[in-house]
Amino acid sequence: MALRFLWGVVHTPRGGASAFVLMLVIACALFAPLIAPYGYALQNLPGSNTSPNALHWLGTDEFGRDLLSRIIHGARTSLTVAVTAISISVVVGMTFGAIAGYFGGMFDRVVTAVVDLTWSFPEILIALILIAIIGTGTESIIIAISIAYLAQFTRLTRAQVMALRQETYIEATVNLGAGHFHVIFRHLLPNAITPVIVAGMLAIGDAIILEATLGFFGLGAQPPIPSWGAMMSSGTAQIFIAPWIILFPGAAIALTVISINLFGDALIDALNIRSRLRDV
Amino acid sequence: MQTLTKRAIAGTLLSTTFLVTGLSSALIAQEATMVLPAREVGAPSYDPIRGTKLNVATTLIYDRMVLQDADQSYHGQLATAWETSEDGMTWTFTLRPDVTFHDGEPFNAETIAWWVPQFEGTENAFMTEAIESVEIVDDLTVRFIMKNPDPNLLSNMASSFMGVPSPKAYEELGDQYGVTGAIGTGPFILESYTVGQDTVLVRNEAYSAASALSVNQGPPHLARLTFREIGDDSTAFLEMRTGGVDMLLSVPADFRSMLDNESDVTMVTLPGRELFYMPINTTVAPFDDIRVREATALAVNQAEIVDNLYGGLGAAADTFLNDSLLESNVDDALRISYNPERAQALLDEAGWVVGTNGVRAKDGQALNVKLWTQNGTEFRRITEVIQAQLIAVGINADITVLDPSSINAEYRKGTEHQLAVRSYSWENADILDWFFSSDRIGYPNVSMWDDEPAEEMRILAMTGSRTWDERVANFTAYHEYVLTQFVFAPIYQPVQSFAYSSTTLSVPEQIRSTRVQSQTFLDIDVK
Repeated sequence: MALRFLWGVVHTPRGGASAFVLMLVIACALFAPLIAPYGYALQNLPGSNTSPNALHWLGTDEFGRDLLSRIIHGARTSLTVAVTAISISVVVGMTFGAIAGYFGGMFDRVVTAVVDLTWSFPEILIALILIAIIGTGTESIIIAISIAYLAQFTRLTRAQVMALRQETYIEATVNLGAGHFHVIFRHLLPNAITPVIVAGMLAIGDAIILEATLGFFGLGAQPPIPSWGAMMSSGTAQIFIAPWIILFPGAAIALTVISINLFGDALIDALNIRSRLRDV
Repeated sequence: MQTLTKRAIAGTLLSTTFLVTGLSSALIAQEATMVLPAREVGAPSYDPIRGTKLNVATTLIYDRMVLQDADQSYHGQLATAWETSEDGMTWTFTLRPDVTFHDGEPFNAETIAWWVPQFEGTENAFMTEAIESVEIVDDLTVRFIMKNPDPNLLSNMASSFMGVPSPKAYEELGDQYGVTGAIGTGPFILESYTVGQDTVLVRNEAYSAASALSVNQGPPHLARLTFREIGDDSTAFLEMRTGGVDMLLSVPADFRSMLDNESDVTMVTLPGRELFYMPINTTVAPFDDIRVREATALAVNQAEIVDNLYGGLGAAADTFLNDSLLESNVDDALRISYNPERAQALLDEAGWVVGTNGVRAKDGQALNVKLWTQNGTEFRRITEVIQAQLIAVGINADITVLDPSSINAEYRKGTEHQLAVRSYSWENADILDWFFSSDRIGYPNVSMWDDEPAEEMRILAMTGSRTWDERVANFTAYHEYVLTQFVFAPIYQPVQSFAYSSTTLSVPEQIRSTRVQSQTFLDIDVK
């Protein structure tokens, strides 16, 4: 059923093209050591800043490292950080949102207040504050991004659960003696999950940009581990000498994020949930 | 009548326009904007007595007793003459008459008698450590009574840290001195200052204390001088290329050839005074083992860095001092040069065995070390190359990028740091005292080096030398000893390059100092 549905999404021009690019990026992330023609940390100083050629399709960076190999490995960093961070956000956000929406009361008021407070700050600011506290590095930015996006999923789930709670079948389940845990996890969340998952997918695109931004400031993966943002950052110093160092990682970010957004859009249309997402 | 009135109004407007345009262009023409060297970005104050990091603007706000020429000879500024007794136990300085501070206070012998003791208890105390007391001979003559002969006294007096502040302002502002105000006798007056952004100076119209190193003996030609702090090399380069600034006081290596090709930019290269090095914390494992320290230092391929990161400009550093200093002439066998075979052999001997992933291990513990660097293209690059050079001998270095002040703060906190890529710019062998004195363990003795023979040699070099030659010999011996302990890994000695817009500025052809300082700024003019 799900496969048939996805097949339908992929068969739209928008869904198909974006799915192709996403599969390519995911393949790069999964099989980077097998696909990349060179090691991402392999320096060849005499060959630094070489323009694209037959040996190095995308050229080399300031240390003579193969740019294509670093972009392929960079996909791993970007996707790992974005997917892990958003997964944490979705799981924790859904739990908080479901409990707050179902039980209401003091817990709901506290959660809503915290969510509203967090919502009033841009994600980049929250992430920067958190990194200033917990320090730099890949793990730190995963934590920072997951907390920065937590409010979004908590709010979305809470709204879904509050709407679903009024449904007759939920009342019937409660009247039949089902416990709170059973109602939340067997009836409410499965019915609220679709818009959350789609919102999560779209948030992955944003998280990739946030990861790249933090990487650009040198706060993410530390050298020599490649990250698209950090690669762009080192390219700024070379922009007049070797513009490809900044252009290709930039293109990788743009292409991936556009593909995620297009695929997300195709999913939203196929699921017909645009109004449910907009309500939140 | 109407026509006449119209003509009169038009004529008045025209002449007013010309007058205003002429005046404003004259005013604009007397201004210049310069970019500070990246290494000087973030200086937290203009307090020469207590500050540990100053920028070139300090030399424009404050005058010093003497200045040093490019050939390292000394020339009077606030002092017009000086002499020392035969035993080196007294120094007599004759002071320049009619000098006043920017706040109108007079400069005289009393100022010097107040100034010298202010260094006591500060990070810069070593500058005046050899002076027992200051006697006022007359209003314009002071005599330093020495605890011990100090052949380095003039060199200290020429340092940026020896700018003389106004006693009144210094006392009034207390801890805030240098932050909320800075008053000297120099050719420029501090107008505004934002740490990490810019410093604006205006001409001291009453200035008359120029040294013989400047052609201009009066107030500076420039009426207003802005120093911008731009940490990013490409931004600084773009500013220069697009006319946003008139001068880069340091040109990043990447952009030298590009600026050289600009027809309206003149680039000047001077002998370097800076040295990049990697301090090694000798108190934490695995660097408490001298064999690991030596292996680490020998794994650094200095020539590869000079040739590939700097296009052959500059020189490989193989001692802890700049080549221009006599004390750098050590026994060749003690020079620290790339030797990967010996590095590997030393690590083997120390029990660190190469693992399958290329990283060495001992007792199940991988040879992972922390390597700090500061943000900025140059540091990041050198650090990443060193990381690759270390892994080639089996040492896995994890890089952490910090801003310069955070690194110093971490050192002061006593964090268990291991390696870092750093640079210093100093033209005297007493930098060895700064880095390795057991009195300064933590910071600036970041190697945490505390060694009895070294202390004896250091004290002898600092306080036991009666003549300059004796001092050189003592410091050379001390230098040789610390080289054998591998407390640093020397990396690179850059050249100094600065660039200016030849359409807006005229800069003296001969730079009469070891770097661009106040004596040159006095002669810089607009075109």
